Amino acid sequence: MKKIVYFLSILSVLSCQDDNGEYIEIDQPLDFIIPANFPEPVQDISYNAPTQKGFELGRKLFYDGRLSRDGTVSCSFCHEQASAFTHHGHDFSHGVDNLEGLRNAPAVQNMAFQGEYFYDGASSSLEMLSIVPIHNPVEMDENLESIVLKLKQDPVYVKLFSQAFANKEVSSGNMLKALGQFMTMMVSANSRYDKYVRNEAGGTLSTQELQGRALFQTNCATCHATDLFTDNKFRNNGLPPNPNLNDLGRETVTGFAYDRYKFKVPSLRNVALTAPYMHDGRFGSLQSVLNFYASGVQNTQNLDPLLQQHPTLGIPLNQQEKEAIIAFLKTLTDEEFVSNPLFYFRT
Amino acid sequence: MKSRLKNIAGLLALSLFINSCSSDDNGSAPADGTSGDVELFFDNGVAGDALMLGNSYTNSNGETLIFERFTYIVSNFVLIKEDGSEFTYPKNESYFIINEETGQFTVHLENVPAGDYKKIKFGIGVDQQRYLQGETAQQSFWDLAFANNMTWTWSTGYRFINCQGTFTVDPAHGGDTTSRGFMIHQGSNTATDNYREVVLNLPTTARVREGEMPNIHLKSDANVILDGDTKIELHHNLNGAGTAASIMAGENLITIANNTKKMFTVDHVHNGAGTHH
Ligand code: HEC
Ligand code: HEC
Repeated sequence: MKKIVYFLSILSVLSCQDDNGEYIEIDQPLDFIIPANFPEPVQDISYNAPTQKGFELGRKLFYDGRLSRDGTVSCSFCHEQASAFTHHGHDFSHGVDNLEGLRNAPAVQNMAFQGEYFYDGASSSLEMLSIVPIHNPVEMDENLESIVLKLKQDPVYVKLFSQAFANKEVSSGNMLKALGQFMTMMVSANSRYDKYVRNEAGGTLSTQELQGRALFQTNCATCHATDLFTDNKFRNNGLPPNPNLNDLGRETVTGFAYDRYKFKVPSLRNVALTAPYMHDGRFGSLQSVLNFYASGVQNTQNLDPLLQQHPTLGIPLNQQEKEAIIAFLKTLTDEEFVSNPLFYFRT
Repeated sequence: MKSRLKNIAGLLALSLFINSCSSDDNGSAPADGTSGDVELFFDNGVAGDALMLGNSYTNSNGETLIFERFTYIVSNFVLIKEDGSEFTYPKNESYFIINEETGQFTVHLENVPAGDYKKIKFGIGVDQQRYLQGETAQQSFWDLAFANNMTWTWSTGYRFINCQGTFTVDPAHGGDTTSRGFMIHQGSNTATDNYREVVLNLPTTARVREGEMPNIHLKSDANVILDGDTKIELHHNLNGAGTAASIMAGENLITIANNTKKMFTVDHVHNGAGTHH
């Protein structure tokens, strides 16, 4: 395994006792380990290298409803660990006052290996992206300044911020940094599939799963590429647009007509746990997703050429092949990740 | 040895400076190691007229605009001497907002090395490098920008120019005289980098000395945004309902980025201690 360790010269490391002789916990840099079968991270981790205390602070924030206007909606409300940090069972996630959003909450995992966030790529910075859900009127409907005022009143936060950052401040910048550190460390790479490709114990795939893998490599892996299962690009996979939403996808951000109906290719890690599927959560099962690729693809503006290579649009698959692909996709479930106490905050 | 020579040179320069002060004020050489302040004043206008919020202006596209908001970010200031040597203002402090609504028109630079400057360089907006370093690097500026309506929160970036108001179209140009809202939010996004830099000659040398602050008076022409080298017609950018025009993405942002390279000119420079208008 490749290993990158960032050493931080955090001043607080130097002193283990403060003026009152009280014991102060030491902040440690955390190892950011790149799984052997992963590509290099896209984000420059040295901008915001995770430390023990920064990570713990980020985790606490991720689970804290005070980041929303009415104190009820935390990041974890829509990104639940048991379903790989998605909003289980909701096609559209709902936020404060039970208002509904327009998109389905994607998994939060392996974020440092991705360059663009949200289905339309509204952000390219792991540190800045939390600004979006925090301000969204149908998600958390808050602002950074007001959150910082709330956190400053809580002695537990005041202590954690002072341990995690050299300038010791409870500030919106440090808050976003801590959330970024938590998300940087959320790496999912220990599914049965990973063990299989890394030749590790427990890494066996059945004949059906292996057939599914072969079918996946021929038909799906150009878009759902590498062991991250995304090529980090925006593409139109031929979903008929929902007339009630008319979600333009990537065009919303760029304004270019050639981006219409293109959405970020999602990673398929833990996909068996993340139903419903697609940006608007229109499909309730993997079977429906495969039915769509086999016979539901529509020729809308900018349909990806990869889905126009056969006599009929999409990817021809019979039921036996669909089942094999689904069996393979289920090997991407990483039980360790979804039950790891490191990513769960207990009060 | 070297440093001692430098010190002597410095002393010499200083004594020369002091000696010459009384006799010939304009010809004084700057004292080594000393510094002063520089002030830039941004005078907003529209094609030669003063910009006044609420006033109407007709452009060559046959559109009459009333501005209600005109705010922009200027950044990354560099002062350039005759020999081409540059002084780059510290990056973390080099982001400023000019806001017609709140009457914020000046950029104040501190601790600029004493010298005679012939050109200035600055950016319109926020460069990608700083953006990608995350919010922390931008902390105090983010808060300022948020307070000035210069942040995007549905995505995570800065508005470089925020220009809003209402407009009507001359029927001869294919429009109608209904008054509609317009909104121009210039900026970069994850697809296009629309930050641009301009280099401007100073008509008079800006003399920076300890206790002597040149005031560089710039004119900004809001007209070039839509009516510059490449024209953008608001009535071709109406929303689906036809009730307002909004320019926030796409090709238009690249056009505006290039048009605004001609938005600024230096009108004059005042030299002398603490000169204000
Ligand atoms: C009300 C539900 C809700 C809340 C609360 C929420 N999110 Fe999300 N999150 C979503 C939705 C929906 C999307 C997809 C939005 C889109 O693509 O436009 C998303 C997308 C994301 C993504 C992008 C993932 C990717 O693969 O591109 C990240 C990361 C993320 N959220 C982190 C957070 C963090 C951190 C917080 C707390 C500060 C948070 N979310 C709060 C619903 C929510
Ligand atoms: C042309 C590129 C492309 C190909 C080929 C492709 N996909 Fe996708 N896939 C996408 C895009 C883009 C999305 C997101 C679409 C959206 O949400 O609007 C997606 C979404 C999905 C999702 C939903 C994931 C989620 O979390 O919501 C699944 C599952 C999926 N694809 C499986 C497959 C399988 C299996 C194949 C091969 C049979 C395949 N894809 C082939 C581009 C592609």
